[in-house]
Amino acid sequence: MKVLVAVKRVVDYNVKVRAKADGSDVELNNVKMSINPFCEIAVEEAVRLKEKGVVTEIVAVSIGATQSQEQIRTALALGADRGILVEAEGRLEPLAIAKCLKAVVDKEQPQLVLLGKQAIDGDNNQTGQMLAALMGAGQATFASELTLDADGAKVTREVDGGLQTLALTLPAVVTTDLRLNEPRYASLPNIMKAKKKPLDVTNAAELGVDIAPRTEQLAVEPPAERAAGIKVADVGELLDKLKNEAKVI
Amino acid sequence: MLPAPFIAAVQQLIGAKRLLAEAADLQRYGVDRTTIWQPAPSAIALPGSVEEVQQLVLLANQYDVAVVPSGGRTGLSGGAVAKNGELVIALDRLNEVIEFNPIDRSVTVGAGMVTEALQNFAEQHGLYYPVDFASAGSSQIGGNIATNAGGIKVIRYGMTRDWVLGLKVVTGAGELLELNRGLLKNNTGYDLRHLFIGSEGTLGLICEATIKLARPPVDLAVLVLGVNDFPSIMTVLEKYTAAMDLTAFEFFSEAALCRVTEHTGLARPFESQAPFYALLEFEQGGDQLDTAMALFEQCLEAELVSDGVVSQSLSQAANLWKLREDISETLWHYKPYKNDISVKVSKMPDFILEVDALVAERYPSFEVVWYGHIGDGNLHLNILKPAELALEQFVAQCSSVSSEVSELVERYQGSISAEHGVGLLKKPYLKHSKSSEEIALMRAIRRSFDPKGILNPGKLFD
Ligand SMILES: Cc1cc2nc3c(=O)[nH]c(=O)nc-3n(C[C@H](O)[C@H](O)[C@H](O)COP(=O)(O)OP(=O)(O)OC[C@H]3O[C@@H](n4cnc5c(N)ncnc54)[C@H](O)[C@@H]3O)c2cc1C
Repeated sequence: MKVLVAVKRVVDYNVKVRAKADGSDVELNNVKMSINPFCEIAVEEAVRLKEKGVVTEIVAVSIGATQSQEQIRTALALGADRGILVEAEGRLEPLAIAKCLKAVVDKEQPQLVLLGKQAIDGDNNQTGQMLAALMGAGQATFASELTLDADGAKVTREVDGGLQTLALTLPAVVTTDLRLNEPRYASLPNIMKAKKKPLDVTNAAELGVDIAPRTEQLAVEPPAERAAGIKVADVGELLDKLKNEAKVI
Repeated sequence: MLPAPFIAAVQQLIGAKRLLAEAADLQRYGVDRTTIWQPAPSAIALPGSVEEVQQLVLLANQYDVAVVPSGGRTGLSGGAVAKNGELVIALDRLNEVIEFNPIDRSVTVGAGMVTEALQNFAEQHGLYYPVDFASAGSSQIGGNIATNAGGIKVIRYGMTRDWVLGLKVVTGAGELLELNRGLLKNNTGYDLRHLFIGSEGTLGLICEATIKLARPPVDLAVLVLGVNDFPSIMTVLEKYTAAMDLTAFEFFSEAALCRVTEHTGLARPFESQAPFYALLEFEQGGDQLDTAMALFEQCLEAELVSDGVVSQSLSQAANLWKLREDISETLWHYKPYKNDISVKVSKMPDFILEVDALVAERYPSFEVVWYGHIGDGNLHLNILKPAELALEQFVAQCSSVSSEVSELVERYQGSISAEHGVGLLKKPYLKHSKSSEEIALMRAIRRSFDPKGILNPGKLFD
């Protein structure tokens, strides 16, 4: 069975994000970029399914700038078999990405598409859902457990107040949550092997997808600075400040 | 145990609230990270200014009160242990940035500033304080200077000594000295600043320090390699240092990795097991990552290494570092007997084989855990206490082996304390690293700074 995994290049989870001085966007100059953590979980899950013998081929797809090849190489080092980069510059909205993925799905005909539940840059949590709609396929989001066989997928989802289990026919779209697995490290021998794995580059025009944004980003601002804390002498003063200055009691 | 007029004078000086004597305080401030001695200070003084420190030392001289200078008490040699009714002077309150000078790239801080706070301050100003180790969240700059702390970045950035531009100290006699004025160049005779660095609280109390800061490293990658045997670690080191500027080269044994993963729940770097692991860190910009990969291939072909991983994100880098950095805290639960020895890197291949053989022969029934800053020629050899063995017996047995290890170190012209200092723990072995003439001169130096011998009595040498 063939699985398609989407991977996105994002600002590293541990980087303190700053706005550009002119407020036009997030500062990306000299900022550490990594694979989106939820995508990494999706790759890991695909690799585990392959190790179990359920999956035979893993295709890692990224939509983004040329440097996204680095993240595809990471996926290849983790165990994906080949990569596809849909080269696209500028601000990509979830619908544009979903349409590109749909075009790749049409070509590749995977039985399962695995994506992160969201990317930690835009926090949109939309791409998987939109892709499922475009494909007319079933979807299970926020997966914390996934079993797969030729007939279908069974997905446990983390929902408010408990767990929900869904059965899906294939092809299907599954988006991953944090607790699905703990991704492995990319091993050096596998990174070396990954260099020889095929990585095809295409672009939105070739796929016939319009990726022009439908919204305009007007400004990016850092959150307001928190006022410095103060020390109070005793409980009396604390209560007084809470009541009369903070007005919370 | 302290004379009543002394107590009254101290209370008058720093305020009664700042002189602690509750059992919990005595326990907390009376011991460092060693697990051998029972804390028993008389009281803890928390001065709030350099002047108060000076007055405290003058009072201690007047009333013949022994003083233990105390930093973050993360020391591993018992230097900050107070077990004989001493007055502990803790500089916790002298923890502020006093002056930052971006042109000189230097910052003057109170000695009680926590190491990590200085690192963070530097980072906020686009700079870097490179002295780092697992206890940086608790240790203090004063303690780091008093022990000339090393850590995990020495291979690139050197020891604490290399970052101290100036010191304000109160000597054991109560003089206030301003040493080196933060200057880069100052050839005006003896540089007393350097005597205080590594003095382990025996010459004076370090109150303020002017610290040099560096350009921060960019885009660090962490590599963990499975290494096939002890000698191979040194060959791997040689290959990598010949081709690249590493910011760290650390190693640990499979036993260390097992304990850490068990204790912390961290994932192993890779499935396969190796007797040893090397952790390398470098700036991966330019072609450095490719160079590192090519070297790995060479090492693999030469059968020096069996497997390896490289961090793909900052959190992976941090987690790989934890495999090394969490060892010390993990082992602490097993009351380890710690050796902290070093030889020149060039002598390490031979030394390592001999010390390994010696330890295997003399500790057949003890669990021996190896790790350390091997890129600096520094090995941490930890012996874990078997649960059934009483602490005293365990320490006695370890001490006897330490003598043999120390003799071996002496034969290789190495150090019996690479970075943790001598304190109480290594006192019996000092003679293996310093000649009797040197020790005699050290005594004379100590007497001239602390004529009454009130500072840290019994530490370093008697
Ligand atoms: C988990 C862990 C990892 C560690 N890793 C390393 C490592 O990699 N490298 C390394 O070098 N060390 C390491 N250490 C040891 C320890 O952290 C260092 O020795 C550190 O520099 C001690 O600082 P401190 O403030 O805790 O000093 P303390 O333990 O409080 O004191 C150490 C000595 O300095 C004296 N002293 C303290 N403050 C002053 C002062 N203001 N003026 C004069 N004398 C003073 C004390 O009397 C004592 O003799 C580690 C410790 C732990 C627990």
